[in-house]
Amino acid sequence: MAVIPSRPVSITVFVRLKLRMLGHGLRGERRRVIAFAISLGVGLWLAVTGFVLFGVSGAVRHDIGYLMAAFGGAALVLGWLLLPLLFFGVDETLDPARFALLPLPRRTLAAGMLAGAMVGVPGLATALAMLGLAVAGGLRAGPAGAGVALLGGGLNLLLCIVLSRAVTSGFAAMLRSRRVRDLAGVVIALLAASMGPLQLVISSMVGHASLAPVLRVARVLGWTPLAAGFVAPYDLADGRPLAVPVRLGIVAVTVALLAWWWAVTLESAMLGAAGAPAGSRPVRGGVVRALLPAVLRPVRAGQFAAIAARELRYWSRDPRRRSSLISIIVGGAVVPVALRLTPGHSPGVPLPLAVAFTSVAGAAILANQFGFDGTAYAAHLLAAVPGRVELRGRAAALSVIMVPVLLVIVVAVAVFGDEDGQLVPTLGTAAAMYGASIAVASVLSVLIAYPVPDTRNAFASAGGSASAKGLLAFVGMVVAVVSASPVLAAALVLPGALAWVVLAAGLAWGLGLVLVTTRLVGDELDRRGPELLAAVTLRV
Amino acid sequence: MEAGSVNVVLDGTQPALALRGLVKRFDAKLAVAGVDLDVPTGSFYGLLGPNGAGKTTCLSMAVGLLRPSQGRAHVLGHDVWTDPVEAKRRLGVLPDSVRMFDRLSGPELLAYQGLLRGMPPAQIDARSRELLDVLGLADAGRTLVVDYSAGMKKKIGLACALLHAPRLLVLDEPFESVDPVAGSLIRDILHRYVEGGGTVIFSSHVMEVVEKICSHVAILADGRIKAVGTLNEVRAGRDLEDVFVQVVGGRVATGEELTWL
Repeated sequence: MAVIPSRPVSITVFVRLKLRMLGHGLRGERRRVIAFAISLGVGLWLAVTGFVLFGVSGAVRHDIGYLMAAFGGAALVLGWLLLPLLFFGVDETLDPARFALLPLPRRTLAAGMLAGAMVGVPGLATALAMLGLAVAGGLRAGPAGAGVALLGGGLNLLLCIVLSRAVTSGFAAMLRSRRVRDLAGVVIALLAASMGPLQLVISSMVGHASLAPVLRVARVLGWTPLAAGFVAPYDLADGRPLAVPVRLGIVAVTVALLAWWWAVTLESAMLGAAGAPAGSRPVRGGVVRALLPAVLRPVRAGQFAAIAARELRYWSRDPRRRSSLISIIVGGAVVPVALRLTPGHSPGVPLPLAVAFTSVAGAAILANQFGFDGTAYAAHLLAAVPGRVELRGRAAALSVIMVPVLLVIVVAVAVFGDEDGQLVPTLGTAAAMYGASIAVASVLSVLIAYPVPDTRNAFASAGGSASAKGLLAFVGMVVAVVSASPVLAAALVLPGALAWVVLAAGLAWGLGLVLVTTRLVGDELDRRGPELLAAVTLRV
Repeated sequence: MEAGSVNVVLDGTQPALALRGLVKRFDAKLAVAGVDLDVPTGSFYGLLGPNGAGKTTCLSMAVGLLRPSQGRAHVLGHDVWTDPVEAKRRLGVLPDSVRMFDRLSGPELLAYQGLLRGMPPAQIDARSRELLDVLGLADAGRTLVVDYSAGMKKKIGLACALLHAPRLLVLDEPFESVDPVAGSLIRDILHRYVEGGGTVIFSSHVMEVVEKICSHVAILADGRIKAVGTLNEVRAGRDLEDVFVQVVGGRVATGEELTWL
């Protein structure tokens, strides 16, 4: 049988396919329609905001306009770069893997997918925002400026789209692997956690009103593909017309290179083949050495060391734990800074009190420590691990991470706040509060455990009681502060000569609370191990 | 046949596992309705039952993971619920519905198990290396257990259960989702273990496996033991599958329906 001769496929097929998919978004399931309407609304809002911002950049002071164009443009391109990494599969319509079985030449496919990507809410929203650039260009340098801005904006739009496509297909295989998705989770956690500090930095920069360093960054950005197309009109306005083709050339060459790379990786993306499994190197030395990290090697290799080692590994390997740890650390660093750096140079909160949140929150992360383990806790139950060893091993592992962090934060806040004299008693308070918080969290974790769903399964939910139980962790933090209040009071009241006494008392207080509580609750854990296992088992 | 009467004690000692009147109630549902069972030392015991018969619930109560509503469980004479440390020292378990600490690599997981069991590090290293070699897991190197295939997960779970050389092995569905090669490897290891004086009880709903390797069989359905004894006693000259279907009850053939097939 002869193979049917095929007509060359035109690019418009892809555009029509995409349009039809968009149209389907308006029909069918209500949830999908709502999702589509929301994305349309958000897209429109972003487009108008972008248009206004870019447009206004032509009407404000010259250097501020340059800043807006450079940073706004760079943010736009970076957004196109990062968003598909975080939400892989948002644009499933034109997932390259779907075309794997069709006999399409690579060139057609690449061009078609590009056109398809352009037609869509993000593409159209970006194009609309870019028009604002033309308005600004016209305001700065007349019709020629508007023309350059249109050209630069168009090139950058192309860059955005090629970039996001190249990233999705280039990393498609990687994005299918668990490691990379875990990594993406960390990036999200970091981004979310750094929103607060970023705001502080920006507001302080605005307050100090020194644009020179920022402008220097913007000038460098202007020569990278991220922002070159956006600042090109300013060359005309500044009387450097020869720089315009250079800047546009930078963007065009980048687009060409990316398009080439994309076409090459497209085929492997269509196959959806993951590479060789990572990290299959053989293990050298004994297995016990492989488990125990260097910090724990001086400890006797037994149950305590094993649990501490496994916990340490889990704080870095379990994405749920890792993201809570990162947010707690970032939050713990920001709160004392925010409390101390009040505007108007008022004295602010006393140092020992300012680090209270940091110390207490650092340990409150253990309040549902068994929930993170889930049914894996059965292994401890089967090995009849004594409850106090269990709780102490876990506390020790967290402390290996948290104590240096606390130390750095407290010292940094004291030194940069010119309160070196308060440092020693503050360290004592921090030790007492951290210890008290570990003690409280140990009690909560045994008595009020609840399952933590795996992040990768969106259908698993811990239900309403979990959030109520999660709130108890905050109550626990208050209890911890109260139970460390004698040391706090001593730090605030006692004269500086007794600073070292406060430090010693704080250390003893914290350590004592941990040892006594883990012993008492550990015995209770020995009695109710099976009930704890049932409590952290996710019912399906 | 009454459960208590089958005290087939192979070498004249106490049973490796003795269950007495185990009952488990979940709210209104009676999952296990009074199970008595003696697993003789040195036997290869198959616990058969359809899905939802209560096999996992029963074994979980026997090893100390699930507190029974009533009844007792003894491992080599030690009560699992009043003397757990001694009982669990003699016990190796491969649970089915339970996760492992799967963000460790295979070797790390074995080291972890060994240290939790209080074994000396040198012994852990030596035994782990042998187990990883025999089970063909040495090549996996630093791959985390969460990235293992289903069969590899079963194998590393079995290695964890064997590491401290227990006298009784309790395995929940050890042959589930295991390919034939790995399946016969596991069977061979378990045979060696029983020949060396160990005792195995495992749950399954695959007749062929049970018929091929078990010395004793118990059939569990609706939370009760329906048949129990040596393999030959239970079979009584028939096919094990026929006995199972007859004992469990249930439809195995179509009648007038589905004529359009």
